[in-house]
Amino acid sequence: MKFLAVCSSGLGSSFMVHMNIEKVLKEQGITGVDVDHADLGSVGPGAADVIFVGADLADSVGGLGDVVVLDSIIDLAELRTKVRETAIRKGVTVPDAGAN
Amino acid sequence: MLTDLLTPETILFADRVDGWRDAVERVAQPLLDSGAVSSHYVAAMTDSIAAGGTYIDLGFGIALAHSRPENGVERTGLSSLRVGETVLLNDEPAHPIDLFFCLAATDPQSHLDTMMALATLLSDETLRAELLASSTPADTLAVLTKIGQNA
Repeated sequence: MKFLAVCSSGLGSSFMVHMNIEKVLKEQGITGVDVDHADLGSVGPGAADVIFVGADLADSVGGLGDVVVLDSIIDLAELRTKVRETAIRKGVTVPDAGAN
Repeated sequence: MLTDLLTPETILFADRVDGWRDAVERVAQPLLDSGAVSSHYVAAMTDSIAAGGTYIDLGFGIALAHSRPENGVERTGLSSLRVGETVLLNDEPAHPIDLFFCLAATDPQSHLDTMMALATLLSDETLRAELLASSTPADTLAVLTKIGQNA
């Protein structure tokens, strides 16, 4: 299972989302998910199982598959909810007591 | 350490600025002065924002202005500008900004530690509020020393 954070430059925002996804996966005890980040121009269909983007790029990633749109890329509460929902939706084992 | 990059010289405050372009130019000025970036880098950031690149709006009134390494980065740098009056990024009401950061990264790996610290800082609700409440470089530096302590 691969989650990919994408932004226009591949350096700033996507890097932060990448690190925050890893933080959330760790604190919720979710394993078996690889996380990476990339710039929009280098991402093609099938690059990852799920692509995480900020709201501004929501319209640019339509053809890239399963996309999760984040209202804010530094809102850990939002990310916790969306990462957890996505993991469950993709069939990744999510510990019950993870949301602390 | 963020405090290697964010110093009294790179932590700026302005009661008011003349729109988002002025804000981006001001926050980039310390990096320009120190030679971390060229004027081309500043132009690349403003061009990118003007072309719709409001993705640098991280949320909570914080923006991370940056461009790609090849657009004029000489060495890694980071600066900040707290504006007294909210600025609309690219004049868009959906993107009100109170705190600008300017990041210059030579390549993704070299600024890994910087980005990790910045992500930890800005994603922490308490530290984020303290950062926005800071009104002097000393205030900001005091917040930076707390990064990771309660994570």
